[in-house]
Amino acid sequence: MTGFVDLYTEGNTFLHRVDPRVKITAVILLSILAFVLSSLEALAVLLAFIMVLVVLSRTPLAKTAFSFKFVFRLMLLIVILWPLFDRSGEPVIASFGPLVLTEPALLRGVTSATRIGCLATVWYILMFTTQQRDIVRALVKLGIRFDFGLTLAISLRFFPTFSATIGSIMDAQRARGLEFGKGGPLKRTRNYVAVLIPAIVSAMRTADGLSWALQSRAYGARLDRTYLRDFKMKWSDYLALAAVVLVLVLPLTAKYVFGMEL
Amino acid sequence: MIPAPSPGQGDDKIISVRNLRFTYEGGVVAITDLSIDIRKGDYVALVGGNGSGKTTFAKNLNGLLRPSSGIVTIRGRDAARTAVPELAKIVGYAFQNPDYQLFCATVEEEVRFGPLNLGYSEDDIRRKVERALDAMNLQHLRDKPPLSLRLGERRRVSIASVIAMDPDIFILDEPTTGLDTEESDMLMQKLQNLNVEGKTIILITHDMRLVSEHAKRVVVMSVGRIILDSDPRGAFSDLEILRRSNLEPPAVTKLAHALKDKGIPADVISPQELVFHLLRGGESR
Repeated sequence: MTGFVDLYTEGNTFLHRVDPRVKITAVILLSILAFVLSSLEALAVLLAFIMVLVVLSRTPLAKTAFSFKFVFRLMLLIVILWPLFDRSGEPVIASFGPLVLTEPALLRGVTSATRIGCLATVWYILMFTTQQRDIVRALVKLGIRFDFGLTLAISLRFFPTFSATIGSIMDAQRARGLEFGKGGPLKRTRNYVAVLIPAIVSAMRTADGLSWALQSRAYGARLDRTYLRDFKMKWSDYLALAAVVLVLVLPLTAKYVFGMEL
Repeated sequence: MIPAPSPGQGDDKIISVRNLRFTYEGGVVAITDLSIDIRKGDYVALVGGNGSGKTTFAKNLNGLLRPSSGIVTIRGRDAARTAVPELAKIVGYAFQNPDYQLFCATVEEEVRFGPLNLGYSEDDIRRKVERALDAMNLQHLRDKPPLSLRLGERRRVSIASVIAMDPDIFILDEPTTGLDTEESDMLMQKLQNLNVEGKTIILITHDMRLVSEHAKRVVVMSVGRIILDSDPRGAFSDLEILRRSNLEPPAVTKLAHALKDKGIPADVISPQELVFHLLRGGESR
């Protein structure tokens, strides 16, 4: 049950310093690129590019491995499941009764897995190098309503608190002799009710208290709110933005103007 | 007078801890080196500032946490090698926040939950539940949903659910926090009854008045080790240690310290004692 509740790591790399708005834009553009590219080679290059950025962010290896474990499992699952539903094409590599594995289907499975890999890992660059409050502030700067931003910030902020609460609840029930992960599926489900109900009650009590606290500090009194720390684009930020746009535009031009198979 | 723990003191040693060290994942050392013996029927107040390691120590006693090194023996069994449900039959643990465990539709079901998990027979469970409801004065609330009760009542439900499991040892983590004086005194009286029945009580608390009135032994913790282990009288006469641990002695003890020049002894722990010393002082003058 251990993990990293906050993906952010303190650092001073270029990726940490660049304006969060540029980072958000970059992540969105790279995601678009992952959708547009269709050849395995091109997607593999994109995935490698993302991995280089992850390395440049100097995120501790343990944290990277923990985060990418899930992505990797998902990719593996896609490669395994894809041929079950896609049996078209020649040549056939193997067949077991009704199960047929064809080369094109396998290729399509690996390609999709790589695309999903790109889409999942690219967001980690943002999460690894940007504090949550900066992400939220950048989103508000980009035009998202302030109260939506605050809601997002609060949910991110309370995530560690809530997971600690769940840990305590599980401890409390274990102290009453409850054994998790024992018994049949029905019993297991029932065991989790003993965690779920206190967790929901505790979350609702927290939310209730929080809303009183917000109101008592005059939340919502002014809509045009100001910030102590504001973002300002520097020339290096514009440069980074230009570079990211190029990374999107170059392959697109190659694919659609020059007809390259990317 | 409870003598300081010494090894080889007969069979009534119910808890024995040797060189316990506990490090949380992530490297925070919560217990540096802790050894203690607790005898059956003892009433130990475990006190110390926040972050001194009280709760971590307590969780090592019922298997929720396993020692990083050192040995915890509960009634002769190595706690590190005993499953939590097995330990739960011996060591009951009432969490500070009752809401972390209450989830049933009625108080009675809530109290049944523990003994049911431990696999007692239906007759046995029924008997244990009745006893627990009686002990915490909850008979009139048995059909009420526990989450609708007041904090003091919810605490009593959570403690009753521990009593129903019939452990020899009760660990109570700040059971009086958030209760008013009346509720808190009533709860402490119930715990006293358990102790009189022969149960071993380990009370984690910040309230030195409760400690002076109920505990037989005070164990003061600071940064992961025991810095003082004595009866309440001895503990409260050492103001320096208490201050270092961010603990406040009972008001009557502070008053006695302030009257030291008038010949009042420093180890006064009850108003009656202070009155006694004051009157005697008056006579001799």
